[in-house]
Amino acid sequence: MAYLVGTPLLALLAILQSAVLSHLQLLDGRPDLVLLAVGSWGLVGRGREAMVWGLIGGLFLDLLSGIPFGTSAIGLVLVAYIASLLEGRFWEAHLLMPMGVTLVGSLVFHALSLAGLLLSGHPIDLPTALMRVILPSTFLNLILALPASQLAVGLRRSLFPPEVTI
Amino acid sequence: MPGLASGLHAQMKRPPPRSFTAGSLLLLAVALLVLSLAGYLGPARGLALRPLAAVQSWIALRFAGARDLLTAPRDVATLRQQNAALLAEVARLQQQVITLQEQVAEVEVLSALLSYARLRPENRYLAANVIGEDVSPFIRSIWIGRGSDAGLQRGMPVVTERGLVGRLVEVFPTVSRVQLILDPEAAVNVLLQTSRADGVTVAQPNGEVWVDTIGQEVEVQPEELILTSGLGGGYPPDIPVGQVISVRRRDFEIFQQAVIQPVVDFENLLIVLVIVNFPTLPFEATSP
Repeated sequence: MAYLVGTPLLALLAILQSAVLSHLQLLDGRPDLVLLAVGSWGLVGRGREAMVWGLIGGLFLDLLSGIPFGTSAIGLVLVAYIASLLEGRFWEAHLLMPMGVTLVGSLVFHALSLAGLLLSGHPIDLPTALMRVILPSTFLNLILALPASQLAVGLRRSLFPPEVTI
Repeated sequence: MPGLASGLHAQMKRPPPRSFTAGSLLLLAVALLVLSLAGYLGPARGLALRPLAAVQSWIALRFAGARDLLTAPRDVATLRQQNAALLAEVARLQQQVITLQEQVAEVEVLSALLSYARLRPENRYLAANVIGEDVSPFIRSIWIGRGSDAGLQRGMPVVTERGLVGRLVEVFPTVSRVQLILDPEAAVNVLLQTSRADGVTVAQPNGEVWVDTIGQEVEVQPEELILTSGLGGGYPPDIPVGQVISVRRRDFEIFQQAVIQPVVDFENLLIVLVIVNFPTLPFEATSP
């Protein structure tokens, strides 16, 4: 069920990132909607599904990008894995946990994108990339982390309502 | 024995460890990466992009309409008056206004592009909607809603009525990716219009575009127009690229650089023209 909902949702988020969010930038950074969705889904206790979401969402992003195909997928699977590591820990439900995961996830995701581009021979100025893309994108992701996690909680409740004993 | 059987059953039903799942998915992604780098995934990507591009195109056009509505204060005021006067009609009118504004904008752009095309009868053009930007902020490229089904090929130059936009670096059946001249990987052989000196554009990571390899003896004029030179065969000659805004000159360097302002407004690209009769060279992404 999560994949039936997740696949079109991730496709839509990737398209929105290409068609709409490219006009809403902070310096050259923009929010990473697919990353937020994958990280949030991992944080609501659906770790394995989030990893598959990461692969699917990453492939959608790679389709709409010139970076080597598969790079975003690797990054997002890792982000989901990091989020899933918190499953069952006592601080799992901490309010700031989505922000922590988003911070680490954004840095990992962008670092892998950069690595993919550098390996493919694309010229990158690392200090500029950090200042103009990675930090602004991470900042925007952090702003959206809490709303995204709340949406993920709502989606989980509607897809997997808690069992009630009578 | 029943206890042992149920224990085995429970063990069999237990999902694999999450690190195993992550490892398998990562392996799959790496395999796709390798296949892609080896060039085996082109047709599959084209197939997958077909439905995606249709939705992307639909969303991009609606978003452009909504953005026009929000960024045109006079029209918003007019619409608000109409809202007050005709509450029952409001939804239909807003829809109409959005559609019409988008059509007017498109007609204006197409008219300008047509005038440009008439000035250069030697070229054959194909107009294409801009349907999105590269999702990676590290790459400066756009997606257009035409591809090999419409006869496009890698390497074809892309322009607007103002000047050079870039060239096609990836072509799928229904969409293509245009590498902008702002991308650090792009390089265009250019000519300074007044001083007639040759140079090569080099996009800087901070968004500036420089013309490099200008000899120290050349007197570069402020606001001098930069045109494509046609050298190397990557682009047709005499397409405007930008205007000089400042010059970087150091005595100890062999060359000087001119910082230019591109003539194309890359933030508001709606429709572009692809020059379809330009003979493309065997493609090398970084060649000017």
